[in-house]
Amino acid sequence: MQASRARLFKEYKEVQREKSADPDIQLVCDDSNIFKWTALIKGPSETPYEGGVFQLAFSVPEQYPLQPPQVRFLTKIFHPNVHFKTGEICLDILKNAWSPAWTLQSVCRAIIALMAHPEPDSPLNCDSGNLLRSGDVRGYQSMARMYTRLAASPKKG
Amino acid sequence: MQNQEEQVADGKRAAFEFEPKGEDCSSSILGNSILHSDGVGADLTQQQQHEEELAISSLQQNVPFVGDKEPLSALAAEYQSGSPILIEKIKILSDQYAAIRRTRGDGNCFFRGFMFSYLEHILLTQDRLEVDRVKNNVEDCRKMLQSLGYVEFTFEDFFSLFLEQLDCVIEGNESSISYDELLNRSRDQSVSDYVVMFFRFVTSGEIQKRSEFFEPFILGLTNATVEQFCKSAVEPMGEESDHVQITALSDALGVPIRVVYLDRSSCDTGGISVNHHDFIPATGNPPNAADGSSETFNPFITLLYRPGHYDILYPK
Repeated sequence: MQASRARLFKEYKEVQREKSADPDIQLVCDDSNIFKWTALIKGPSETPYEGGVFQLAFSVPEQYPLQPPQVRFLTKIFHPNVHFKTGEICLDILKNAWSPAWTLQSVCRAIIALMAHPEPDSPLNCDSGNLLRSGDVRGYQSMARMYTRLAASPKKG
Repeated sequence: MQNQEEQVADGKRAAFEFEPKGEDCSSSILGNSILHSDGVGADLTQQQQHEEELAISSLQQNVPFVGDKEPLSALAAEYQSGSPILIEKIKILSDQYAAIRRTRGDGNCFFRGFMFSYLEHILLTQDRLEVDRVKNNVEDCRKMLQSLGYVEFTFEDFFSLFLEQLDCVIEGNESSISYDELLNRSRDQSVSDYVVMFFRFVTSGEIQKRSEFFEPFILGLTNATVEQFCKSAVEPMGEESDHVQITALSDALGVPIRVVYLDRSSCDTGGISVNHHDFIPATGNPPNAADGSSETFNPFITLLYRPGHYDILYPK
């Protein structure tokens, strides 16, 4: 518990110092609980998520960094590896391939990479996975783009 | 609108009866060569495998990270009605070795066995020169990880915890600990896992530092690049160690390791012998480098390898 708190505090300081280093990621720690974080990530360009801003919720276990943070999308997203309802993310580094070499910041980068490179063979969202598996890239992209506009676009005016 | 879409999505999902559970999914950004399955069929076998692993790991929960020292006869008892080759080999082992100390089979057994053996050796010999020597190598490892681009705060806690244990097993410090306390700490997850993780960082750094040397061995095991291999098979807790990891750790810290193999292999000439392999550090300054002759090679870490698992062996 003490170790995880100390580590998270280091990450917090690093995030404060490097605030402008990665303009696509805005990682914020809960005011009253260092085990709760949220992040705003920008949809990668040349993907159907471009132009969208997606919110992630982090819940960090007491055994962190030996155990991975739990991360899910709060913003609705149509992606083969994200559960459409719960926002659960299927990504190896959040499960068996986790190591303390990862940070909350680099997890965000990994999620952005996953958005750009969906893996339809291990789908959490079968509809999205099936579109890609059957070769209907246009179908996948238009669905994903629609949800980006509906759920992830900053309100105008 | 959204609700409608969700319903549509659910309807469609029911038509396809294969939604792998979250735990078994395998999207990977580490490259898809190691962890990635190829489609539905593979997912199923992966799931079965996962269940078997879970069954094994729940059995293993009752085994401490590091067990008590047991006479070698405890090993013989395990194989009483087993393969004659193994019984014969254990007999041969008992000529040279007095005792065995088991480690938990949780994928970290090599590192855990190394940790206990090494710290126990220092505690019993009070070899301060060895402590100084290994500290120098640890410093080199730290610099190596930095130069490989690792963020210092991601590994420094693991490094300092190991250095702290090193100081503790030397007498005369305020923090000095007894043999029993060393055993307690090795069984305490918050110390034990941190030291294991320290070794994983050191091993990973060494493999990447000498990636040209290790690349052919890694390519023989998987299709992964050296970096992918380190990220997926070295750094994560619970990933089992093999020749590559043992060589790298031995080299990085400059600590020789003897691994004795207990398996069903026998030689054609009829005689049964127990094979072992000595990992002799290729770089750095190994403890008994001065005499240089393998005849006098006297490793202070001996591990017993049975397929998939390492325990600690004690010579007579």
